[in-house]
Amino acid sequence: MKKYNFYLMLLFLSSLLSGCVETNILDKIGLTTIVGYDLGTEEKMEITAVIREVNPEFQSNVEIITTENDTSKGNRMKANRQLSKKITVGQMRVILFGEKLAKENLHYYIDLNLENANVSNGLYMAVVEDETAPLLNYEYKNIDDIGQHIFRLLEQNISQEYMISPTLHETAHDFYSIGRDIAMPIIKRNEEHIEMSGIALFKGGTMVSSLPVKDSFYVKLVRDSFNSGFFETNLKEEEMPPGLLKKPSSEIPIVFDAIRSKRELKLIDASTPEFDLNLKLKARVLEIYPDVNLGDPELVKKLEKTISKNLANEISRVIAHAQEVESDIFGFGEKYRSKVRNSELTKEKWHEMYKNMKVNVNIDFIILRNGVFE
Amino acid sequence: MKNSIRLSSKDMINAYLLFFVIHSAQVGVGIQGFQRIIYQDAKHDAWISVLVAGLATHIVAFCMIKTLEVYGSNDLYGIQQDIFGIWIGNFLNALYVVYCFIAFFSVLRNYIEVIQAWIFPNLGTWFLSATLLLIIIYAFTGGLRVVVGVSFFSVILALWIFPMLIFPMKFSSSEALFPILETNLSSIFKGAQSMTFTIIGFEILNVIYPFIKEKKKVKKYVHLGLLATTIIYLSVMMVSITYYSEGKLLKTIWATLTLFSFISFPFMERFEFVAVCFWMLIILPNLCLYLWAAYRGTIRLVKISGTKFVWIFSLLIFIGTLIVQTRTQINSINTHFGQIAFYIVFIYPIFLFMITMLKKKITSRKG
Amino acid sequence: MKFKLPFNKKQTPIIVEESIVDGKMITPSKDGFIQQIKDATNNPFDLIIKSIPPNITIIYIDNLVKDQTLNEHIISNLQNKHNETPETIKGALSIPEVDIYGQLEKTIESIIHGSVLIHLDGYPQAVIANITTRESRSLAAPENESQVIGAQVGFNESLSTNISLIRRYIASSDLCNEKFTIGKRTNTSVALLYMNGIANDQMINSLRQRITSLELDALIDSAVLSEMIDDNSLSVFPQMLLTERPDRFCDGLLNGKIGLIVDGSSMAIICPQSFVEFFQSQEDQNLRWHIATFARLLRFTAILLSVFLTPIYVGALTFHYEVIPQAFLVPLSESRALVPFPPVFEALLLEFIIELLREAGARLPTKIGQTIGIVGGIVIGTAAVQAGITSNILLIFVALSALASFTTPSYMMGNVIRLIRFPIIILAGFWGFYGIMLAFCFILIHLLRQSSMGAPYLSPFYPPRLKDMRNSIIRMPIPFTAKRPALTRPTNEEKFDPKPIKPEKS
Repeated sequence: MKKYNFYLMLLFLSSLLSGCVETNILDKIGLTTIVGYDLGTEEKMEITAVIREVNPEFQSNVEIITTENDTSKGNRMKANRQLSKKITVGQMRVILFGEKLAKENLHYYIDLNLENANVSNGLYMAVVEDETAPLLNYEYKNIDDIGQHIFRLLEQNISQEYMISPTLHETAHDFYSIGRDIAMPIIKRNEEHIEMSGIALFKGGTMVSSLPVKDSFYVKLVRDSFNSGFFETNLKEEEMPPGLLKKPSSEIPIVFDAIRSKRELKLIDASTPEFDLNLKLKARVLEIYPDVNLGDPELVKKLEKTISKNLANEISRVIAHAQEVESDIFGFGEKYRSKVRNSELTKEKWHEMYKNMKVNVNIDFIILRNGVFE
Repeated sequence: MKNSIRLSSKDMINAYLLFFVIHSAQVGVGIQGFQRIIYQDAKHDAWISVLVAGLATHIVAFCMIKTLEVYGSNDLYGIQQDIFGIWIGNFLNALYVVYCFIAFFSVLRNYIEVIQAWIFPNLGTWFLSATLLLIIIYAFTGGLRVVVGVSFFSVILALWIFPMLIFPMKFSSSEALFPILETNLSSIFKGAQSMTFTIIGFEILNVIYPFIKEKKKVKKYVHLGLLATTIIYLSVMMVSITYYSEGKLLKTIWATLTLFSFISFPFMERFEFVAVCFWMLIILPNLCLYLWAAYRGTIRLVKISGTKFVWIFSLLIFIGTLIVQTRTQINSINTHFGQIAFYIVFIYPIFLFMITMLKKKITSRKG
Repeated sequence: MKFKLPFNKKQTPIIVEESIVDGKMITPSKDGFIQQIKDATNNPFDLIIKSIPPNITIIYIDNLVKDQTLNEHIISNLQNKHNETPETIKGALSIPEVDIYGQLEKTIESIIHGSVLIHLDGYPQAVIANITTRESRSLAAPENESQVIGAQVGFNESLSTNISLIRRYIASSDLCNEKFTIGKRTNTSVALLYMNGIANDQMINSLRQRITSLELDALIDSAVLSEMIDDNSLSVFPQMLLTERPDRFCDGLLNGKIGLIVDGSSMAIICPQSFVEFFQSQEDQNLRWHIATFARLLRFTAILLSVFLTPIYVGALTFHYEVIPQAFLVPLSESRALVPFPPVFEALLLEFIIELLREAGARLPTKIGQTIGIVGGIVIGTAAVQAGITSNILLIFVALSALASFTTPSYMMGNVIRLIRFPIIILAGFWGFYGIMLAFCFILIHLLRQSSMGAPYLSPFYPPRLKDMRNSIIRMPIPFTAKRPALTRPTNEEKFDPKPIKPEKS
């Protein structure tokens, strides 16, 4: 046995010497935090990458590099030629698409990032109004690291449930799902800030329309359940129950938070198709125009009804808009597929049906409480 | 029977350890990406295929135990020699050894492929296979006690991975499972057959049986082990179906690992990188047990010492891993091996069971 | 098993030694006898030869015998009396241990051990009176295994004192004590202790065999003995416990273990010992079970941290930057920005410095040692960070893992924990997490292969014994641990009746 041990050691040592692997030492690599894809002017794609580097002199700095090439890896090589450190994508947090590119097709870009084992499935995707390069290249006064900033901006809004969640996994899920389409937030530069300006609706891999950012609440309400977040709506005078107002006013803004919603979708007619969307919302009144009388339980009931009606109208409007552009971001198709046996649904087939789909929105709104002062 | 195995109680293992042996022999590389293959056949009813396959393992294991019980304390190799005579029996034994060899090879090569695809794309295959083989040789030369110990710790130390499935459940919707039984039955059975590569491993029972102390309790622990495996496969499958959409699941090669990609802790992100490396502990018992099974078969054919055998075996495997280079080659080996394994693991034991029963009847009538 | 363990020690069958080695007898004449003794002992200057008229010679080695006893009980008894035969001398002496030997070999052996030879002219025998005295220090608190709650007495270097300590803890006739002499030149006494009726006979026999088959030149310390009779001397992991606490020793004996005490060594050996038991302290038995469980879990976490923290740092920073959370990314990369070395080298350097400090602290006189430990740690650490050869975060990790390694109650095991870190760091530096996992699997298999006196080293985890796990990395309340661990294969399993003692409750 002794002589075997000797060979074993020899084998081990020899492998130690020759089995070296390419290293990615943290301070010797440039970490790409954001990648922005645009349509190239001369070649196929233009890529703007926000790369974080650590230098002994500057502690850490952010490089923004824009390159153009036919492939993404070609772009990476091009960018590498301009940097002192190897570019890596393992810490990428956000992928941005220029609006023009999004209106063509994103299929290639989604696959590209799914294929790469280094890319996290949890990164966020968003569409930028106009082009990504100017948004990323702009020197903001108050933003040090634009990569971090955009990531935090998205993360914060998504975890607060102000915005739909657009992770790579969810985007790819929706893209490859038969009865569902992609929705992504739209961001834009507003002077010295970056802000969310809306929701992009996709049909397949192509962006077809957008909704204003205010509607994200309704979209989220229909897409899935709510656990937190708040929203604001305006009640019109004609919707108002009589006696609620002490002083007549044309509009009442009302704000709710701590919303819990339960979404129930029922397919009642497979041929049209027709859905019943039952939403149960429980919320706390956060802010209401001071003239409103909330002490009377009768009036609260009436107010609840008014709000329900108002919400139902808004939701119907949003769904109608989405139907118009044939983008099923709500996942009605998935419900259809799961309810109808042997439907042999395809994406095209569903989009045809989707246009004529009918949705009956029923909302049950309950005011749980208001603040500590009546 | 003449060639039954007699062992001192020191060399035997307790019956409850069989639970760990069976379970760890089944769970290995297959679980990393079996979803896609089953989904191709059975669509969103793939989980039913998993159940069917799990049920099949119970039936086959039942037959195996019945066959083994007839012989008291003997393994498959001895039984084959007894039933088919020395010549045909030994030929079948040799086939079974080759089967173990290929199973070992396929597990090892698949794991190396996963490492290369996820973490070290330019780390040499030879290096990975050499290091893994050295570890396995070290475990094997420790004897059955160490091999079973490796299975035991592999199950216990990997337990914490199972609750990680809760993380992707946040993104899953149960709608994806409906309508249940939309796929026709033949597709579901075809899917169940595709489970072969993932679910085999429990045939180690054929070889380890004489080493169990309390033969009466074998049945209980084998079935418990199989049940645990089925539950794990079923839950992984359910989560995968609900987490991925149809198209995405079909395109994800290692769906289980991709599931982990979402998991992050305050001190660690990208859990799949840890999982890929940690999987070494999960495949170790696979490899050790197949190696051991092959050894038990080989000593029935030729006189060879354990050390000599393990070095020859490892050398052959090592050369094998160097020959098989590309993903397409690996995939075709997996499919072919899966088909062969289906007949060896699922069909043959039932056949053997019937022959044994027949023989038993004849001999008892004679007696 | 059919195949041999590669590292297993060969166990050669013991050859029973011939009882009569040298047949040389004592010369009857007085002068001849003196010459014989002088020759045999190489005539040391502390050999005292004293003649008591008319025909008695007393020979002894100075400093080995009690002077007072010699004067009061031997010389005064023999003087002015006419002694005819050695038997009458034996009767005349008022001391307990007196013998008559005719063989020279035995006589020489006993004079070296501190007996007085009394020779009567004309007789081929000598009376041997044992009045040994041994220099030894007084009992003191155990320094290497200190504990807050519990006995504060440790073994010292004297075999007889140590055995009397043990007899004080276990006042039982079942306590067996066998004596062996090891070392051709040192003739060291070794005592084998066990509880009759608890300890496993087979195990005692095999230990007896191992001891008697040893052919050592010299045995200075018990640590050497334990390494010689280990199941696998080549393994880095000790398979027998060395302790200087009599309470721990006795607790072991009462659990069915076998103890060995070597004369001249303040550490006693306890075996069989499982891996887990090395991380248990005797104090755990004295604390409330919640606190003891917490302490044990803490120790286990400490071991894991100690072994794997630095390798994980090295692996993550060298290969797997993806797994680092975003919050750590900036501080980590900035603290490493100035460091010119790759992480492996940086970590090895720092670990090396820490080991250096530890070694220096252990070698230096106690007073200086403490200062070196503290000052050296702070000064070198800060200076290294400022000079930019290490990063802050690694410094914390390394200090933490060093600290954690010292929580191991057994110093021998603590050393192992510190040592195995180095190969793992190197593996992590070459192949990242894959290397760490490789090392982990190797250690696991290695531990699985080990045994202590034939008992599985990883017991009670493998083979799993649920009852014994109650007192492993956790400690259940004492009523739940009424059974002796199966590790020792005890003849009597029950420690006590686990029924509740308070009858008013039931």
